[in-house]
Amino acid sequence: MRRRSRVLAAWLFLAPALAVIALFTVVPFVQGIQLSFQSWDGVSLDTPYVGLDNYRYVLHDTQFWGSMKNAVLYGVVGLVVANAVSMVMALAVHRARRGSAFFRTVYYLPGVFSTVVVGVMFSWFLDPNIGVVNQTLKAVGLDGLQHNWLGDPTTAVIAVAAVFVWYHWGFGFILFLAGRQDVPKELYEASSLDGARGWAQFRYVTWPGMSHVTGIVSVLTLLSGLQIFGTVQVLTNGGPAGHTEVPTLHIYQQAFQYSEYGRAAAMSVIFGLCLIALACLQLWVSRRLGGSTDSRTEKGR
Amino acid sequence: MNTLLDPAQESSTSSVSQPVPGPRRHAGRLPRMALYALLVAGALEALVPVLWVLSGSLQSAKQLYKGTNPIPHPFEWGNFATAWNEGGFSQYLPNSLLYTAAAVLGILVIASLAGYALARIEFPGRGAVVAALLVIMIIPMPASFIAQYKLLITLGLANTRIGYILVLIAGGLPISILIMRGFFASQPRELEEAAAIDGASLLGTFWRIILPLAKPGLVAVAVIQAMGVWNEYLMGLVLFNDSSLMPVQRGLTNFVSADSPQQQILLAASLIAVLPIVVFYAVAQRHIISGLSAGALK
Repeated sequence: MRRRSRVLAAWLFLAPALAVIALFTVVPFVQGIQLSFQSWDGVSLDTPYVGLDNYRYVLHDTQFWGSMKNAVLYGVVGLVVANAVSMVMALAVHRARRGSAFFRTVYYLPGVFSTVVVGVMFSWFLDPNIGVVNQTLKAVGLDGLQHNWLGDPTTAVIAVAAVFVWYHWGFGFILFLAGRQDVPKELYEASSLDGARGWAQFRYVTWPGMSHVTGIVSVLTLLSGLQIFGTVQVLTNGGPAGHTEVPTLHIYQQAFQYSEYGRAAAMSVIFGLCLIALACLQLWVSRRLGGSTDSRTEKGR
Repeated sequence: MNTLLDPAQESSTSSVSQPVPGPRRHAGRLPRMALYALLVAGALEALVPVLWVLSGSLQSAKQLYKGTNPIPHPFEWGNFATAWNEGGFSQYLPNSLLYTAAAVLGILVIASLAGYALARIEFPGRGAVVAALLVIMIIPMPASFIAQYKLLITLGLANTRIGYILVLIAGGLPISILIMRGFFASQPRELEEAAAIDGASLLGTFWRIILPLAKPGLVAVAVIQAMGVWNEYLMGLVLFNDSSLMPVQRGLTNFVSADSPQQQILLAASLIAVLPIVVFYAVAQRHIISGLSAGALK
């Protein structure tokens, strides 16, 4: 009787959460898959099935695949550059001790800003006429290096990636710092007894000790690089000529500018499945690395 | 388990390693300066763009369009008034405060109830619920926002405050539930058992005893979600066409596309859009930083 009432209570406690998540997350996800086989203009009540038409369209949509390529580029640049900066700075702050609270606060500050505001900021810095970059070049007599940074496909792509690094590295930094603090002190003491210094200590103590955090930060950075949206919309709106386009923006435009909701849904499914596969990889990796570091510290003791 | 071993280990290592730090400390001055140079460079990299925007937002149009002098002369505080009035921030800012407060409160209540059930009550299906949450958590926004929009239209909730708030709550719940669950699981059971013996109901125990003890967990969830909701852009962009309902990030892009304001006004407007969350960060940064690690690493 009592057990039964506790079971009932558990489901009552869970009910609001399950209801909201089911209705506003699970149902739309399933309906999105359904919509990818339909045609919808966003207004009419009629949503006829069109079979694989949407997917056939997406397959030949070079803009979409270009945007996927850009997403991978932003994700990989974030993964390599932002994470390298994050880790170096985390190790530096851990080492410095003095002023660490100040540096921590400042390094994460850009991460507090919204993607839209970051877009506004950098579109000003990079403006060909009134941007600080070109104005500075002119002031120091390097007029020749002035450039329409966001108007040239190559530099525009680099600019978006750079802005992402600026915006994002503080997040990885926070996690790496937490991860570094969790590496047991005894391991460093033991390794310095063995004569390990600098690089060797990093290679054989810090790096393996932080592999769990590194795995998580890597995938989180990769995922958010792939999903860049607000910053790109404000900075370049995908331009020039779609060269900085990202999937989320392309999906948004298909739906809300061209009223092709079915096609947008098909792109959502394709892009979404890629992201989900990556996230699963993260779960798997963090489980595995988590397990192996645990066993390593156990052995160490 | 190894508390018994620890003192011995420590004394042995310190006695042996004492000669080691000597040469290292002498060699350490230059690396130490390089270390601080690196740290300061990082701080400048993060701060200078922000300060540059602050400077630009206080310049006159003439100064801003002309040169690189970062000191505003004179200080045009009026830019902020102009941005506030022309940008419609007297609508957007209260909207965002409402959305943030409502969504965070909703997430806290719903997630702590669910997290408690998952941590403390044994019932068939518990493992399945946790597994389902882990799976749902990885459904990314780009995969579902089109269909979410369609669903809200069907429900008559598109372009409404409540529709937006519900979407925000649904988005924040899975991770928050898992954080709260972890938090409750790490608490001692004795108090609840005592309360149960005293005949308190489960909900009564939860409300009066469990929840007050869970304050650190609630704070961690609240601060990360508050930042996420304040900065949310995509759903705000998709769901609202009535500008009187728009949250501040959406309001900002609305201002850009509708009025194409002058640069210094736009910069002031951007700072208005981030000021509340920056103040919040300054006040709660300790919790934000620990909350971020709790959310990502646990």
